[in-house]
Amino acid sequence: MSIATMGKDKAEAQAATKGRAVRKYTADISAVGEPWLWALGGALAIGIILIAGFLFMIFWNGVATFWPQPIHVVTLANGQMVAGEPTRESTYRVGPELLASLSPEARAEVEGNGGYADRVLYRTGNYDLYNEDFRWVSRFDVASVEAPSGFYLFERQEWGRFVGKIAGLTLDEDRKDISSLSYDEIRRHQAEARKRWDAIRYIEKSEIGRVNHYIEQERLKLRKAELRYGVDSPLYASAAAEAEPRIAELQREFAALADRAATLKAEDARYRIMLEEIGGRTKETNLSQIVRLYPANDVSGPQKIGIYLSRWGEFLGSEPREANTEGGVLPAIFGTVVMTLIMVVIVAPFGVITALYLREYATQGKLVAAVRIAVNNLAGVPSIVYGVFGVGFFAYTMGASIDQLFYPERLPSPTFGTGGILWAALTLALLTVPVVIVASEEALAAVPRSMREGSLACGASKWQTIRYVVLPRALPGVMTGLILAMARGAGEVAPLMLIGVVKLAPELPIDAFAPFIHLERSFMHLGFHIFDVGFQSRNSEAGKPMVFVTTLLLLFLIVAMNSSAIYIRNRLKRKFAVGQF
Amino acid sequence: MSDPAATQSDAKSFLAHRRKKETSAAVLIGDKVANWVITVGGLLVIFAVIGILVFLVRVVMPLAGSGEIAPPIAYKLDAKPAVWLNADEYSTIGARIAADGQISAFHVPTGRQISVPDFDFDGAAATAVGGVLRRDQIAFGFADGTVRFADFGFEFSVVVPRNMPRGLQRLDETSQLASDGAVFTELPRDQFRRVALVSRLHEPQQISEKAIVALDYRVGGTVERPTRSFVTFDAEGVGRLSRAETQRNLLTGAEQTRISTSTLPQLPAGVEVNSVVMTSSADAVYVAGGDGNMYRFDTRNFAAPVLAETRRIFDSGIEVTRMAFLTGEQALVVGGSNGAVDVFFRLQQEGARTADGYAMERARVHEPNPAAIVDLAVSPRSKALVTQDEAGNIWVRHSTSDQVLARFERTGNPATASISMMMARVDGALVVSNDGTVDYFRFKFPHYETTLKTIFGKIWYEGYSEPTYTWQSSSGTDVFEPKFSLIPLIFGTMKATVYALLFAVPIALMGAIYTSEFVHRRVRATVKPVMEMMESLPTVVLGFVAALILAPIVETWIGAVLLAFIALPLGLMLGAFTWQSLPVNVALRLDGIPKFVLMFAVILLTGYFAYKAGPVFETVLFAGDFKAWVNGDFGTGFPMLFIVLLPLSFMFVTWAFNRAVGHKYRERERELDRAAAGRLDFMRWGLLIAAATVTSLIVASLLSATGFDLRGGVFDTYVQRNALVVGFVMGFAVIPNIYTLAEDAMNSVPSHLRAASLATGATPWQTAMWVVIPTAMSGIFAAVMIGMGRAVGETMIVVMAAGNTPVLDWNIFNGLRTLSANIAVELPEAVVNGSLYRMLFLAALTLFVMTFVINTVAEIIRQRFRKRAFQL
Repeated sequence: MSIATMGKDKAEAQAATKGRAVRKYTADISAVGEPWLWALGGALAIGIILIAGFLFMIFWNGVATFWPQPIHVVTLANGQMVAGEPTRESTYRVGPELLASLSPEARAEVEGNGGYADRVLYRTGNYDLYNEDFRWVSRFDVASVEAPSGFYLFERQEWGRFVGKIAGLTLDEDRKDISSLSYDEIRRHQAEARKRWDAIRYIEKSEIGRVNHYIEQERLKLRKAELRYGVDSPLYASAAAEAEPRIAELQREFAALADRAATLKAEDARYRIMLEEIGGRTKETNLSQIVRLYPANDVSGPQKIGIYLSRWGEFLGSEPREANTEGGVLPAIFGTVVMTLIMVVIVAPFGVITALYLREYATQGKLVAAVRIAVNNLAGVPSIVYGVFGVGFFAYTMGASIDQLFYPERLPSPTFGTGGILWAALTLALLTVPVVIVASEEALAAVPRSMREGSLACGASKWQTIRYVVLPRALPGVMTGLILAMARGAGEVAPLMLIGVVKLAPELPIDAFAPFIHLERSFMHLGFHIFDVGFQSRNSEAGKPMVFVTTLLLLFLIVAMNSSAIYIRNRLKRKFAVGQF
Repeated sequence: MSDPAATQSDAKSFLAHRRKKETSAAVLIGDKVANWVITVGGLLVIFAVIGILVFLVRVVMPLAGSGEIAPPIAYKLDAKPAVWLNADEYSTIGARIAADGQISAFHVPTGRQISVPDFDFDGAAATAVGGVLRRDQIAFGFADGTVRFADFGFEFSVVVPRNMPRGLQRLDETSQLASDGAVFTELPRDQFRRVALVSRLHEPQQISEKAIVALDYRVGGTVERPTRSFVTFDAEGVGRLSRAETQRNLLTGAEQTRISTSTLPQLPAGVEVNSVVMTSSADAVYVAGGDGNMYRFDTRNFAAPVLAETRRIFDSGIEVTRMAFLTGEQALVVGGSNGAVDVFFRLQQEGARTADGYAMERARVHEPNPAAIVDLAVSPRSKALVTQDEAGNIWVRHSTSDQVLARFERTGNPATASISMMMARVDGALVVSNDGTVDYFRFKFPHYETTLKTIFGKIWYEGYSEPTYTWQSSSGTDVFEPKFSLIPLIFGTMKATVYALLFAVPIALMGAIYTSEFVHRRVRATVKPVMEMMESLPTVVLGFVAALILAPIVETWIGAVLLAFIALPLGLMLGAFTWQSLPVNVALRLDGIPKFVLMFAVILLTGYFAYKAGPVFETVLFAGDFKAWVNGDFGTGFPMLFIVLLPLSFMFVTWAFNRAVGHKYRERERELDRAAAGRLDFMRWGLLIAAATVTSLIVASLLSATGFDLRGGVFDTYVQRNALVVGFVMGFAVIPNIYTLAEDAMNSVPSHLRAASLATGATPWQTAMWVVIPTAMSGIFAAVMIGMGRAVGETMIVVMAAGNTPVLDWNIFNGLRTLSANIAVELPEAVVNGSLYRMLFLAALTLFVMTFVINTVAEIIRQRFRKRAFQL
């Protein structure tokens, strides 16, 4: 029934009561509006179900991803064998072509099911052999499923996972008998090989990286001298003469390191492992290329917990591999945190000063109304517009001028003249400043007037009052605003895509070389990591587990920040509810 | 009070030294500084907003700018009839070929002559010439019926100073001439570019017995296997299409050219050939006849060419004087003796009265030159061209945007014949006349592709059958015509916003009303913070869920999704009427949180029902395949009409019931006790639902019998990443915003209003409906506006889940591309300060303005609301 008729009914009911006995009147059932109440309540319930379902799905998928799954060996109706971890199941509609090609029994089964069939997605791994990571197996296709012992899951440095058996192990050019080796012994050898690999990597990345860094510094110094004095000047000549022995020294160092790495590599190559997939094809690789291995169907409960935890450890503490779909997200966590911190350093004074202006200094009038509209507009402008502004103004305008002035020797490769962590932080600071302003204003408003008046009455100046009375009181509220801004900034991706986020950053924004904080560097970001792995990797299905875990991590960060902000705010409310004098 | 000690000492010396009472200078200065800093800081926010706006506008402005025109330069070569002209893309060396084969090369900016070897025509003079668009491969026709090919291009290299030859002659500040005719131009970073003319004449090939009068020459195929073809007309009007194949003997290195020729169908007798052009793949030949007709030959079958179409181009008496292809060979520019410059597309047309089903369509009519067109010169890299007329006017145009970029006039006598060319970078034009005058016109139009019309209007693009709004900014090839219409993007933004709000606004507002007015305080205390937290949920997460999880699920379970739209409201109503029929004491005992839990249960049950019954529903209504149905493969429009009409007919039936017997029914109902009235109401509802179903069935079948079909509009072909998914997930993203703000607005309605209403006997429902909501209306409206602002600018969800196809339709099952997604996808690839870059800034500016308006309106409404709520 519509609202309009109800209003009329009420009027009619009132008219009717005049003529009759007043006691006769009972409330019309439509006045309670029960169907409408159910619609309202239902809408709220739908909202809550959506949110809860969404959070639960992220949480469950994220938490379950690293749990070691058994390896199922599926024998298909045509005798083919598929080995893999069961990932998920789904029901699908069987297409007409497929249906026509089925055996009569299978067809009858599908048709009995209303044209739908169940299927299981197996993560078969072995991308280098199969050209795919996953395989759907329809139920009607399956002859038998078993989980035989002896099947290993290998996580490899390259090519992703391998599902199969160990066909052979060569340790220091000595072929071992597989059957005599226990899982623990294999693991010990693998761990040793891994240590060697880590050593090689350390030399190649850190030490050679350091030497390269210094060589590049020398080159830039020379180039600077060349630009300043000209290539024919004596000053340049002396600079070149000075640099020469240093460069030579560095190059000797480089050669020595390269030698050491080569020796280690030669040693590493003597430890090999032969893997065999279900169909009998084999693949030999260095033992050190195996990041993790376990006999999936033979591991005990505690071992599973160990594997689970070690995967989390790898995820949180190491670098990505396999185009970000495997390994860890440490650089992304690092980039997100550093960027957010720089952003807070920028946004805090700006936001607080504006709030102070609005609350303590400005006389209420047209100007303040304009500032408020400006603040609200800043809050409402789409984040991508900030990204466009950031890349156009910060990077290509300001950054290009900075390059011209301070880094001419590096041109034409830009230093600040392209996206970088400083520009990203500045852009996000603009984006989040309204959050800080609004929260700080609320906090300032919550400071009782009596305190200000007391301070002023004691002879303190306006600034002294603000500095020693108002601000300390408002600090928790300001903190709330800053945390909310961090939460917003940490989750924002769209502007970052334009300004400095990369899928794989070669260097971290903070490292051991002076000046230690490199504001011009591009960086990795958890949010962009999700986008990149989910959408730009060779197989989004293979990246999905990684996306879920990264999503869980990002959500966890943001929920933690939000909850702490809400907690502080609630405590603040309570404190000020009674804390006036 | 910075320092308690100081205060103390101040107090002690209070009586002794009156002068000490004055505030110390440090405090005063500190105060002044703080005052100043804070005021400036506060106003900085305004500057930030204005600054963003100004910066965006400043980047966008050059799009509308007209560009610069430098003063023209003129110099003299020796007077000879010119047949061909070429210059390198950096406008360093220009070269003219005279009819007798003499080559005069010159330095373009200064006109200094450069000596290069001539072509040796053995004393003959070229009677016709044709060449490729890049002007570096040409063919000459001679009076003896022979054709000779020539290479006439440039070679480039970048050299460092120590590799440069000695004895260079300085030409101007940046260029030097070497003795071999190469020009070295200084580049930044201490490097030089060497440009040199490379020319080579090939052996003559006998084509005809008569003199060649018209010729066109094209090179197609790939770089490794070029195919060279040409078309000739001789003095007797016989047209020939020829292919040249050059084979290189691997041992001797000698080249041998074999020519195969087929004769074109005869033109009508007496038709003079004014101009002839062909395509690179040699599948079509166009001839401009002196009779004002265009003759189009279909030469896809090389051995048997067909005269496919004869088309009158202009009114009688007006000749087609010149023809030329724009790059890409999709658009044929035709110049008339009245100065007209029109562009024709060859389009496939039904009922075309031509031999091959194609017909020439006059797609663009450009502003005509003042006098008869004598030469058309086309840029090899864009759709720009130069038109030259008899009166000596040289107009630089851009065809797609229908602009005349610059108007020049030749120096010297316009009566002498001349030829022209467009510089490859569209930054200059050369005109050489037979008296040896060279005019070099320089100009710079950085963004000639964009005008107000190309951005917001309909443009007829090459290969399209009609004018369209299209966004297609780039493709791999040089011949691509960039299409910069913002309309599909603005439309996509609106489409996404509308579908998101259709989903979000009812749920958010209804949820907010329930939270604010009907629910237990404890529920509110948990729901509200969670909703607030969902506001800062990273949308990249939602986008990922939408695209990789939800989209495939919706695609598989589309039947269940559709059913849920019907089943959920029905289920809730069923719950409500059952509740009404409960005995009063039971209902009262279960009121509050148990009732809310019951609503959850109802929704979960209905959801489960929809999941289970979805396939059956799809089978019954859509023959088991909704996607095929919606694609229009089979069936009538009935099923969807039926679904859409259901709620409408329910409303109609309810209205009719209230009109007819509503009053009596209510009277009757009042006689009963509450549970009985509830049961009666249940029955009434059941009957109304049945009546609505029947009405909907009848109306839907009647409508579909008349051929009315919703398919093709809002419902059309199903794509996996579609507006339904985007609307759903983006709705999910904006629900917390709308919900929080609307709930705040209703919560701030003073409670004495509620109390007064309840005290006069109104039920909570009536209080909410007639007291709270009207009071909070402007706040609720502002909440919706702010939600809309967020939906308009949302980026990650649409980038990931919307499919990013810039199409103009309301089809809920099709994808879309929004302004924001477009920026995110294309800006990282755009060349800084290029047209695309500035177009994307324009897109950002559009977004900025859209959200600015929405937010300012919302803010003004909200401030008014606050004031009013304060007064109550």
